[in-house]
Amino acid sequence: MKKLLLLSLTTLLFISCSSDDDNTSSEYIPDDYEKGVFITNEGPFNNGSGTITYISEDYSTVAQSIYKSVNGFDLGNIVQSMGFENDNAYIVVNNSNKIMVANRYTFESVDSIKTDIASPRHFIGASGTRGYVTNWGDPNDNSDDFVAVLDLRSNEVVTTIPVDFGPEKMVSHNTKVYVAHQGGYGQNNLVSVISGISVEKTITVGDVPNSMVVSGNELYVLCGGTPSYAGTETSGSLVKIDLLTETVTDTFNFATTDHPTNLTADGNNLFYSLNGKVYKVNTSSVTLPGTGIIDGLFYALKAKDGKLYATDAGDFASKGSLKIFDLSTNQEIQDFQTGIIPGGIYFNE
Amino acid sequence: MKQQGFHIIFMLLLCTFAAQAQLDAIQELPEVVLADAKLLHFSKGFKVEKLSDSVIKRNATSLTETLRYNSSIYFKENGFGMVSSPSFRGTNAAQTAVIWNGININSNFTGQTDFNTISPLNYDAISIRSGGGGVQYGSGAVGGSIHLNNNFSFDKTNSTNLGLRYGSFSTIAANASTTQSWDDHYLNVGVDFISSENDYDYVGKSKTNNHGQFLRFSAKVNEARKLKNGFASWNSEYSYNDRNFSGSLNTLGRDAYKDINTRNLWQLQQNIGVFTTKASFAHLFEEYKYFPSSEKYYYEGGKANTFIGALQTEVFLLKKLRLNGKLEYDYVSASGENVGDNSRKTLAAVVLLNHKISDKLSYGVNLRKEFLNDFDNPFLFSADAKWKLTNNYALRLNGSKNYRVPTFNDLYWYAGGNFQLQPETSYQVEVGQDFVFGNLKADVAAYYISSKDLIKWIPGNGGLWVPVNINKTENYGVEVNLNYAFNFNKRNRLSLNANYSYTKAEDLEKEKQLIYVPFHKAGGSLQYDSKNLSAYIQGLFNGEAFTTTDNSDRVDAYSVFNIGIDYKFAFIPNITFGGRLKNVFNTYYENVAYRPMPSRSIEIFLNFNI
Repeated sequence: MKKLLLLSLTTLLFISCSSDDDNTSSEYIPDDYEKGVFITNEGPFNNGSGTITYISEDYSTVAQSIYKSVNGFDLGNIVQSMGFENDNAYIVVNNSNKIMVANRYTFESVDSIKTDIASPRHFIGASGTRGYVTNWGDPNDNSDDFVAVLDLRSNEVVTTIPVDFGPEKMVSHNTKVYVAHQGGYGQNNLVSVISGISVEKTITVGDVPNSMVVSGNELYVLCGGTPSYAGTETSGSLVKIDLLTETVTDTFNFATTDHPTNLTADGNNLFYSLNGKVYKVNTSSVTLPGTGIIDGLFYALKAKDGKLYATDAGDFASKGSLKIFDLSTNQEIQDFQTGIIPGGIYFNE
Repeated sequence: MKQQGFHIIFMLLLCTFAAQAQLDAIQELPEVVLADAKLLHFSKGFKVEKLSDSVIKRNATSLTETLRYNSSIYFKENGFGMVSSPSFRGTNAAQTAVIWNGININSNFTGQTDFNTISPLNYDAISIRSGGGGVQYGSGAVGGSIHLNNNFSFDKTNSTNLGLRYGSFSTIAANASTTQSWDDHYLNVGVDFISSENDYDYVGKSKTNNHGQFLRFSAKVNEARKLKNGFASWNSEYSYNDRNFSGSLNTLGRDAYKDINTRNLWQLQQNIGVFTTKASFAHLFEEYKYFPSSEKYYYEGGKANTFIGALQTEVFLLKKLRLNGKLEYDYVSASGENVGDNSRKTLAAVVLLNHKISDKLSYGVNLRKEFLNDFDNPFLFSADAKWKLTNNYALRLNGSKNYRVPTFNDLYWYAGGNFQLQPETSYQVEVGQDFVFGNLKADVAAYYISSKDLIKWIPGNGGLWVPVNINKTENYGVEVNLNYAFNFNKRNRLSLNANYSYTKAEDLEKEKQLIYVPFHKAGGSLQYDSKNLSAYIQGLFNGEAFTTTDNSDRVDAYSVFNIGIDYKFAFIPNITFGGRLKNVFNTYYENVAYRPMPSRSIEIFLNFNI
């Protein structure tokens, strides 16, 4: 991403921008965003603002740029991800260095967190009053990465936990938070275990852990492996961690040139992207790569209740789309337009 | 003052709109040696507009500003003074070649010139040549080319010029140059400097551009010596830019960019009989440093050295047939954090012909073939004709094949660079008409460009972006220029310049308009001159431009107006002073979405001519 950003800069490829006046004519704006799917759209590189798309559970309502529609102002540059806790949505705006807090049902702005945040990546809520945000710090400095601990009552960063470089996605289990160190602009191979306000332990996994799911007492970590352009190419792997002992119990390797992403789970099935296909693997008998079920180059994947939600970012300089597949037939059942670079899929319940 | 005299001659002779016919006359002025005579002799069926000195001085902050107000080129500018890239006739930023004294100076890394890094005050002539110039100027001369020339003369000259400017946003600028010519010597030395806090308000947004400071310094030396049957010359230029990059409406600026360019050209010309032979050697150096954080020392950068050796011979027979043959060898060596250490060699053979059948009709045929380089070596050609049907009407026609070679970034960028890339190619035709009705001059041009194998970075497997020769585009459009002058009496004169362009540039696969190509652009100025005073109003209309490839988002249309006044005391005519009010109506506008341009500002200046 850094190289790309620099490249886009040095080649003056000021590609595109969004002005958020989309879809004002045909779609009405519901005043209630209960029950449905949110898509966070990063928005174009360098300029403009990311947005959030809402699709109601019954697919009857699609609303673009809901935050701006409700509040009259933009979220900011590169809407990286979103998380929920209690009634609030915490929207992580990477390049603007802030967390925007909104009511998850009305999307009315509640607050924003701008202090002690630096290149934020992901948010996760824990125990109702506490939230964690992974931060790269200065993306070119591998020694200043941290996890910010938020007090969700005051919406302030109460402390920061220094961590190994490139913290990215998080999952929580019981009272602990597991942080995958994808490695920022480089590569890392760790999962940090955070308890309270300190790192309790780190677990070494495969190179470039890019996505995780918890299934029962198991944590599945999908590692992309080091790509060929970054030195010695290493294969992707699926690493299974027993959450009771916090140790790696199994590692399944892909072929050396395979670099999977986007692990998601529905019941006992895991799904992920690899080489333009979505694969399915059953947790009870893991064999890789599993069964290829759907063709497509997707930017984000989420499985839920027998459906697979997948975003297509197209050329990254125009509106993307969300496709919904029925996992019993592997057929596409819905296709919605989103904002520019749809990078995250979330469910409001 | 002699140099100024030439400018006046040029201005008179080279009125923008009837450039060709009048260019013919210039070659009769042996005392002016043109740095790039090809532009004059082998572009007769092309539209070549020369910008007058007064026009340049009015918009002297950068070459971006000069051309934005005085041509139909659209500039994507990331905030005032920041990175600026052109779209000429709807082509991409690497398809406008910038030619310094006949040499293509587009960056080896980006294929482009950042027009904000160039001071328009460093040259004796700035010309805009529309249409394909690949045969003569090489890679990137697709939409058109911008020519920055330092000409010279051996007529006795002793002139020195000093200019000082001060303006809003703590902008300070100064330029000084002296031109000396004695016996067989010509010497021109100059420096130019501008620095600005650039902390303008984002109109109506209660935000300020607080990380857009820029500084540019450039220096030039142009020297020539008359020899028995010719001359030897040396053109040299140095420029240094140090900029913090502005944020946008949604981000705070953090990064910074520094670049250094040096350019040197040595030429030796000998006239033997009907043959004029010229040997030239040039060295170009470019270096950039990109700082992700302006407050830290960490940067990524690159540098490139270009060596060019060329030998050309021209014959001019019976005052009708001009034939030029040229061999040129280029060696580029580039290195950088992201492109490794690579080089490129090119040998090009060029044949140019212009035949004047009669005073009314002339035509040209130009061919270029390249050897040695790593691509399918393109064979380029162009043909043009100019037909003066009556004293009031002339027709010109041209067609050409042009190309743009992949840059070092495209080929070697780590990671993603694709060394199997081939050049972008494009074909184009143009029909132009000149009209003269008394004091009204008009030029109407229509063109069509078809391009294929355009290099585009696309996301591949595993999130890695890779450039491929994929895009096909089709551009067509119309350009209209008008120039009208009305003399009340000997001392009072009113003149009007206007231009309008319609540009359709379509991605053939998506069937959508290309991003950042406005359909409509118009500009103009109305000027009143009396003996000691001149006043003008200048306006620019920029139509809306799409910012996404599916044309779902856009940057809005805008109009901006500037006014200005220059005054000269009757008793000290070598001092001129005045002021300009820019963006009179304090309009909010953007050239790149979410990158606001300056609020209303003023500038005052003082010029001494000695």
